[in-house]
Amino acid sequence: MYAVLHPPNFAAQVAAQQRPELRRRPFALIDGEPPAEMVFAVNKAARLLGLEVGMTRLQGESCSEVVVVPRSHGEEVSVQTILHTIACMFSPRIEYVEIHPGTYVLDIQGMNTLFGDSAQLASRLRQRVMSAGFLANVAVSQNFDAALCLALGRTGISVVPPGEEANAMRDLPVRILDLASEHEEIFQAWGIRTCGDLAALTETDLIARIGQAGKRLHSRARGAWPHLMFPIEPSFEESLAERMELDFPVGLLEPLLFLLARMTDALLERVKSKARAIALLRVVLHLDGGNQHERIIRPALPLHDKPTLLKLLQLDLETHPPSAAIVSLELHAQSAPPYRAQHGLFLPQAPEPGVLEVALARLRKLLGEERVGSIELKDDHRPNAFRTIPYAPPPPARREKPPLSVSMALRVYRPPQAVGVTLVSNAPARIFWDGQRYAVREVAGPWRVNGQWWSETNWCREEWDVRLATESVERVCRIAFDPRSRYWYVQGTYD
Amino acid sequence: MSSTAAIRLQIETKLANRVPAALTLKIKQAPELFPTGISEIDAVLGGGIPRGSITEVAGAASTGKTSFGLSAIAAITQSGAACAWVDVSDALSPESAAAANIVLRRLLWLRMSAERKQKVTDKPWSRLEQALKATDLLLQAGGFAAIVLDMSDVLPQHTRRIPLATWYRFRLAAEQARTALIFLSQSPCASSCAALSLRCEPANTRPFSTSGETALFEGQQYTLVRERNRNEGSPFLSKKPSTRAEWRAESLWARVR
Repeated sequence: MYAVLHPPNFAAQVAAQQRPELRRRPFALIDGEPPAEMVFAVNKAARLLGLEVGMTRLQGESCSEVVVVPRSHGEEVSVQTILHTIACMFSPRIEYVEIHPGTYVLDIQGMNTLFGDSAQLASRLRQRVMSAGFLANVAVSQNFDAALCLALGRTGISVVPPGEEANAMRDLPVRILDLASEHEEIFQAWGIRTCGDLAALTETDLIARIGQAGKRLHSRARGAWPHLMFPIEPSFEESLAERMELDFPVGLLEPLLFLLARMTDALLERVKSKARAIALLRVVLHLDGGNQHERIIRPALPLHDKPTLLKLLQLDLETHPPSAAIVSLELHAQSAPPYRAQHGLFLPQAPEPGVLEVALARLRKLLGEERVGSIELKDDHRPNAFRTIPYAPPPPARREKPPLSVSMALRVYRPPQAVGVTLVSNAPARIFWDGQRYAVREVAGPWRVNGQWWSETNWCREEWDVRLATESVERVCRIAFDPRSRYWYVQGTYD
Repeated sequence: MSSTAAIRLQIETKLANRVPAALTLKIKQAPELFPTGISEIDAVLGGGIPRGSITEVAGAASTGKTSFGLSAIAAITQSGAACAWVDVSDALSPESAAAANIVLRRLLWLRMSAERKQKVTDKPWSRLEQALKATDLLLQAGGFAAIVLDMSDVLPQHTRRIPLATWYRFRLAAEQARTALIFLSQSPCASSCAALSLRCEPANTRPFSTSGETALFEGQQYTLVRERNRNEGSPFLSKKPSTRAEWRAESLWARVR
């Protein structure tokens, strides 16, 4: 059984409820971008004065008694929330009918033990809505569509016993079936005014004349159109949260991990029931003293492996421990379709995503966040112009590049090492570095480079390639001179 | 069946759960090789560096260790596999890595943290310890085709103090993970654990080019000596490969020209 709650002239009712002074006066709601505003809704008093929906603002204002008010979407949404709450009180399964604002369909099957029979339920539902300050039509029927048509077409409460839908709908005007304009014209020409007239026609003849739409209209007019209900369900993502209050503050991580394991387990059960995996975990720790410590764990791929998720949580919390004891904790999750990949038999070896994730978390704990990852070069000529990005190797694939000659590597010093340089005819001749005295055998340069000259962070230097030698060692280095600080330093060694 | 064979069968059956085929000789498979991207060196090594074992490259500064390491990693990342570079002295130049044609997205770079005021070669214990731990973690995770442990700036007296047990553990882990583990150091340290031991030496010095207006550093000539190769073919081969290779590396600007 379905009960339909329909507040007629919803927008006007909302305006009257929000502004009580409008209740006794004729008013029109206007909507649209100025200056092309149109009359969107009118109350009964305004309709009696000749105002209609679809008139322009100027036509509406031409009648001096009518108050013209702009439509407020915000107010409509808040009133809709009230109606939604009321509908939820009467049934756990409700559907919102978007084309008729404020209209809800309630599945009332099995609700008779709580609210009595269908008539009693309908009357209590209507009373509840009226106590909130709205007029509403309520219709109850075994057919979803018939109940909706009755609520739209009849004032007050209509309860239709099973099998009597066609009779109940007989006197309803045919326009409540949401007719297309061409069908409306055809029915008017045929002299069909009510649903009963339409239902009396032979279905095959109607289809032969107006096409397949005739089948739907004929069924709707008889109250026999099958409709699958799509109840509003609570958001699955919002349900992925676990909270726990602790009896006393906990300062150690180990007992906390027992609780987190239980909570992760519960979340995984929920996620697995929808054949999904966890893509993100957000831990919120409420600390003693009112502060909050929040950490986000984002595996490279969605996981439904509890030990891996727990290990990632543990490593992250060990790397970023909370500053005080914990009084309560929350665990929120975001789900995503699980990672599935068919690896090729002859493709190169690649790390297992889950195992790699844990290994990277351990490495980050060991070395620090910034010291683990892949290299991404910046578009800059400054030395060391790069940033570290999280390591996520692309799927194994062969890539052949034309073979070039072997390039020479430079081993850089971070930070650069200051050296003493003796110049002979403006070129380095001797270098004192790390307690050693090197003679410069060969020298190439200087290569003057600069950048960012248009901003505060401008830089410049003179680079020299030098072959350094002592009695036993020989090495090729790149040294540089910074004209601003007048310092010489070793940038790196060619190796 | 002879009594010896019977006893052997009995022992092997008893130990089957713990040590499969305890008394049977393991047939050694020819190792899979990764080409290094340098044809001269590949010729000396019989195809490249072995997978699932330790390769040790030792030599002083400016003898081409890093260029060799980058070239090998470039060839492996281009084949589509993942690699890691454990950088004890935080000395890898990203520009050099890009110039060597490494697929940067496939390279995991681990930089050991050095104290700011500390000299690079001074007291490297914490950095070495971090590097060994990180290498261990990578080998346990598996899936990396090659891992380079770059200890080029660590003094030989420090690397020699790393316990031999560490290298034995690494050798087993590399074998199980099928990873080519490459050590770059100033002097050999892994002794018998390394399946392939190479020594880098400076070759005849190539003077800086003076053909233009000003002198230009265009490249270096290096020598690589194969000291030991455990996976060498039959000792009765009629033509033994040479143990010494001369190769050259060019600076980026010389390659462009």
